[in-house]
Amino acid sequence: MRFKASIRNIHTFTRLTASLSLLGKDVWLQLNNEQLRFTVVPEQGSQVWAVLAIDTIFETYTIQSAVENNTINLRIPLASLHRALRSALTASSASIRLTKKDNIPLLSLTIITNNLNSSRPPTSITTTTLNSDNAPFPVDDAYNNNESLGDPNPGFFPHDRETTITQDIPVMVLAAATVASIHEPQCPQPDVHIMLPSLLQLKAISERFTKLALSTSTSATNRGRASDALSSQSRLTLSANAHGVLRIGVETPSLKIESRWEGLTNPELDPEQVEGGEEGVRGHASTRMKEREGDEAWSVVRVEGRDWGRVLGVGRLGGRVIACFCHEHALILYVYLSGDDTESVLTYYIASYSA
Amino acid sequence: MHTLSFSLTLEGVVRIHDGVLCLAKFSEVVSLEARKDKLILTALNSSKSAYASFSLDKTVFFEKYNFNASQAKSQQSTEDTGARFTCQLYNKALLSVFKGRLGDVRDKDTAVERCECNIQDQPDKTECRLIVKMLCRHGVTKTYKLTYESVEVMHALFNKSAAKNTWTIGASTLRSFAEYFGTKTEQLDISSEGGRATFTSYTEKIMNGRDVLKQPLQTSITVDSLDFEDFKVEDQLHIGISVKDFKAIVTHAETLKASITALYSFPTRPMQLSYHEHGMQCEFTLMTIGDYRGNSVTPAPAAVRQGSAAPAERATSRQSTVQTAVQPKTTTMPPPSQSLSRSFTREPQSQRTQRPSPPPPKASLDPQSLFLPADEDDDRIWGERIYDNEQDTLGWDASANNDPILGGRRSDQESSSRLPPYPAWQEDPNSRIAPTQKIAEIRGLFGD
Repeated sequence: MRFKASIRNIHTFTRLTASLSLLGKDVWLQLNNEQLRFTVVPEQGSQVWAVLAIDTIFETYTIQSAVENNTINLRIPLASLHRALRSALTASSASIRLTKKDNIPLLSLTIITNNLNSSRPPTSITTTTLNSDNAPFPVDDAYNNNESLGDPNPGFFPHDRETTITQDIPVMVLAAATVASIHEPQCPQPDVHIMLPSLLQLKAISERFTKLALSTSTSATNRGRASDALSSQSRLTLSANAHGVLRIGVETPSLKIESRWEGLTNPELDPEQVEGGEEGVRGHASTRMKEREGDEAWSVVRVEGRDWGRVLGVGRLGGRVIACFCHEHALILYVYLSGDDTESVLTYYIASYSA
Repeated sequence: MHTLSFSLTLEGVVRIHDGVLCLAKFSEVVSLEARKDKLILTALNSSKSAYASFSLDKTVFFEKYNFNASQAKSQQSTEDTGARFTCQLYNKALLSVFKGRLGDVRDKDTAVERCECNIQDQPDKTECRLIVKMLCRHGVTKTYKLTYESVEVMHALFNKSAAKNTWTIGASTLRSFAEYFGTKTEQLDISSEGGRATFTSYTEKIMNGRDVLKQPLQTSITVDSLDFEDFKVEDQLHIGISVKDFKAIVTHAETLKASITALYSFPTRPMQLSYHEHGMQCEFTLMTIGDYRGNSVTPAPAAVRQGSAAPAERATSRQSTVQTAVQPKTTTMPPPSQSLSRSFTREPQSQRTQRPSPPPPKASLDPQSLFLPADEDDDRIWGERIYDNEQDTLGWDASANNDPILGGRRSDQESSSRLPPYPAWQEDPNSRIAPTQKIAEIRGLFGD
């Protein structure tokens, strides 16, 4: 079993792990010849099923295993992975590989940085003058810059002064049988597809509502109740229709607030993606929804405010988000990465509470 | 007549604060020792495995410094060390006096300009106190009286001549290393090989099954010895200290922008980390762990592991010579005996002192601000909102100068300028509902 890759886009990877780590402690990462799947299924709260093209994060990607399609399944603690990746944010290069130490499988992240703040002039340096013909590295721009900064050591290569950071993340290798029992949730046909407004706005407003709900209801119920009581008190109602309107509201015994966005896009279904083609689109729940009026035109879900806030943390990836409302059942978010024309998409499943 | 009196500039006050904050990481009490030419603040941790000392120079650090030796009734006034005055205070007490001064620097109106301290130590008077007077602008004086306990102060001894391994490096570099270490790691191993030095933070725990995933991150940072200002270390020598102590030290050293010098001989013997800046001589003596293989070619870890007889003997003999030779009047810090038998690879966790780590920093995002700059990629924005810890909830703005929609709880101009304007509201301040209830009542209604 072998996995090795250099990290091409450390920022995307770090933002991904940051978003995922809000929802669960561990991620199931499935690597194979074609794609990367990051899955977080917490005991409580929303799930993420992300499929990323290899190019989105990695380059020079090597994978080998006895399983079909060279598949490797790993269970990785997200906090450690995220912390390790954060230390690579200023790196000149970073690579990751699967290894073993004392019989514990590890994901070992090797980070090389050149930007150590060595502002003082080097004092006791033994100069190694290299013959330019035998020089192991071409004299590149970085070297010239180094010289212009007053480095008193001609023939001294910046490569010699790089700092290497290795972060060893303990992981578990999962057997194919173990992961076979994990299934992506099945949902009925969504009633409304709608493009969400800026998640930054949505998150700020949702959090304000959640806070209001929590603070008003805690004082009402003499505060300090069990957490399940809290979750019922901080529910937000999200609703959308097929005419570009999204509403988010909160209702407690003492207050009722609602925010409303208009003029949002309702993406059309692509007949090629829908089962049954044109016929399938015509019979789709969302097509029927367009003809309804009044209260019937709204598809409603109820979410737990804090969980919803954590889901919206995905906004840091900065992509387009399409929300699919399954009335009184679930909300599904498809998050497409910005500036990424691959097939990469993160799918969030948020179950709806009953009224 | 005071036993000790000194005065500090604002800069000195900040330095004392930083120093006391650092000492808090070692012990909850601060020992104070006044001498003719310097004031020494020290802390020794409960397991006596780490000792920190800040020696403040009479002429450089202080604006004025006067130690009245004859007043010092102290028993220690002997011929060779000179008169001393020693006492012990709670760190928290000192910190609460010197804290907040930092914040005042921004607020020019109440900024501290000078600080005068004196110690009244007269058995015939009722008040034996450390009196701190903060002289602020506009003639405001804040006076604090702290009680102290008169005790003998212990100092750790360190035999510099035996410490043949040494390195010096800028504190900011070490501080940047500490940033990379996993949050729950306990040990830091320092080693060198082939002109490169390696700092490895790790936690030694044997775990099986799912617990494996709870094992903290192990971080190694390998840096060229040329990045050190000075580097003379025996090749392949591994020496271990506590990550927490290391972090406390480098964080403080960075506030002084100092270069840290490490001195050590071999594992199980103390390591000294020191730096000197702005009349502040900072020294930390830390007990180390690890296998000592010595200069001999054949490794002899077994000898160290089996019984502590040989190394202990060596250690004690060295210790006793130090005691008699250097400072007969100070108490030595005995090395923890069990550390001699500690092995680098299998260290029983029960022997380690469990000290709580500092709480994680709280998010400083203004919770009232509804709209935020779009370009920030930050956990403060995208991270999870912790509702339980938030102090403020709905409030009532009685000041009547602030944006009426978003309340007046924001005190800094910065965050209010970030907000998009609400022209309709701002043009007509009278459209606001006047506060007709007392603030206390409102809070009661909406919780706090």
